[in-house]
Amino acid sequence: MNRGVTRRPLIGLVIPAAVAVLFIVVPLIGLLAHVDWPNLPSEVTSTDVLTALRLSLECSLLAVAFSVVIGVPLAYLLARTAIPGRRVVRALVTLPLVLPPVVGGIALQTALGTTTPIGTALHTLFGISLPFTTLGAAVAEAFVAFPFLVITVEAGLRQRDDHLEEVAATLGARPWRRFWLVTMPLAAPSIAAGAALCWARALGEFGATITFAGSFPGTTETLPIAAYSSFEGTGRVGEAITFSLVLLTISIVVLVLLRDRWLGALK
Amino acid sequence: MNLHARFATQVGSLHLECDIRAEADTTVAVLGPNGAGKSTLLRVIAGLHRVDTGHVHLGDDVFDDTDAGRWMTPEERRVGFVFQDHGLFPHMTVLDNVAFGLRSRGVFRTTAREQARAWLERVDLASYASNRPSALSGGQTQRAALARALVTEPRVLLLDEPLAAVDASGKLDLRRALREHLRTFSGVRILVTHDPLEAASLAERVVILEDGRVTQEGEFSDVTARPRSAWIARMAGLNLLRGVVTDDVLLLEGGTAITVATDVRGPALATIHPRAVALYRRVPEGSPRNVLKGRVANVDPEGDRWRIQIDGPVPLVAEVTPVGGGELHLADGGDIFASVKATEIDVYAQ
Repeated sequence: MNRGVTRRPLIGLVIPAAVAVLFIVVPLIGLLAHVDWPNLPSEVTSTDVLTALRLSLECSLLAVAFSVVIGVPLAYLLARTAIPGRRVVRALVTLPLVLPPVVGGIALQTALGTTTPIGTALHTLFGISLPFTTLGAAVAEAFVAFPFLVITVEAGLRQRDDHLEEVAATLGARPWRRFWLVTMPLAAPSIAAGAALCWARALGEFGATITFAGSFPGTTETLPIAAYSSFEGTGRVGEAITFSLVLLTISIVVLVLLRDRWLGALK
Repeated sequence: MNLHARFATQVGSLHLECDIRAEADTTVAVLGPNGAGKSTLLRVIAGLHRVDTGHVHLGDDVFDDTDAGRWMTPEERRVGFVFQDHGLFPHMTVLDNVAFGLRSRGVFRTTAREQARAWLERVDLASYASNRPSALSGGQTQRAALARALVTEPRVLLLDEPLAAVDASGKLDLRRALREHLRTFSGVRILVTHDPLEAASLAERVVILEDGRVTQEGEFSDVTARPRSAWIARMAGLNLLRGVVTDDVLLLEGGTAITVATDVRGPALATIHPRAVALYRRVPEGSPRNVLKGRVANVDPEGDRWRIQIDGPVPLVAEVTPVGGGELHLADGGDIFASVKATEIDVYAQ
């Protein structure tokens, strides 16, 4: 047994590893140290914070809903069928993950802006305008966040082959019945995990949203954007810290609630 | 209503080509080594695998016909399939699993549940109705899967290694219970297994499938008495020889001549029971028997007998008593002379 020897940590690695841990912890301590705790309750319940929070929830939940509706079918097709160009599509899906969000926002603006063909069509057909609207903010968030859902759900579907769907077929279940009663229930854990990841990403989305939808309080100024504008534009650091604290709290709750599930689904 | 499947299909490196008929109210066991294409045969009948050429008919119904370009989806075929892993839906209760087929065919929920419950009682699982399948043992899972397949009153019942996932201790009872349930189902029954015991106890007729081809079919006792392939002979515990008979001499493919007592002439197969093989360290003198020289390759004690594997121009298996084996020092290996009486060799036309 040489486990004792090989398990002894190398000092040369302990130092950078400790720096890595501090790297996460120190900014958090900095944030918490500057919270004006006595006035926190009133600040958190101020109109500004509540408006931004409500808007953030609205936009991020819309983004998740849209991502599930388009992302689950895509994940299913990628995982279970031999559609042509599958590799290209899979690479495309991961693009928003690595693309700078600002570029995403600009791309959305050039494709869906009011003067573009699609933007004009949306406006004349449905009376919808995306740039600088709440719906636009949701679209920008969805653009950045939906790959998380697709990748998680596809991985979940791939963990299992289509054997149980075959069983269902021999029992007389037609394709749609197999999809709704076998495929979807068994994929539910990975869909939940993917939606949670997608939601967390949408909630923190900044670059694409501000580029495509701007920062109008009550319309497109979500929590991260509000935090940034108080911090940078007006120098109201205290308010920025309050916004940040709200976001941090939400993130920790999501992490704790879903740690087993989504780590399991990502494996 | 008879099933007739005649087709050829390629699955990976296996070329499966067979012509199989199965009558209603009869259990046909498809027996063969692993990888012979047995499961694929069932998948073809169920509609889960499309063949390259050929047809599958059930009575007047065309399941599959590549010439006519016709194919019926699995859900239309009304074929009950008990899979090797039993394939219960883990997210549904046992009751909903059994009711699934009825619900899929448009039976109302309450009626479907009633019928499912009745079937669960028949297979002694009524008390598990609201449990998830993960709460069931191997044998219980098998019974639930059987109930789920039979509740829809299929026209064909396919069973893929139904007892393979069950531990040995419960097999005896389960096999008996399975035979009872099979008897109550009057459609075509096809059972795939690699276990001769299962085939012998559950089926009226066996089809031997080896490497994608049918090598023999008939009643189990006939097939094992007169095997037509090395695999079947090994399963039956017999030595199998292949050659040509002329004037009471069987000339083996390897060139060895063996004296036999038979009316058969021409290409023939012959079996020798391992107990009919007598072993000597020196050439037995003045014996009317056939004497074959070889080397002891392996000694395998089995109950009150030792099975001796002999390599040589004519490989043989002999069975001796531990006393006899000890006297001959068989455990040391070495050269050996095997002798067999002509009358102990069963010869039949190839």
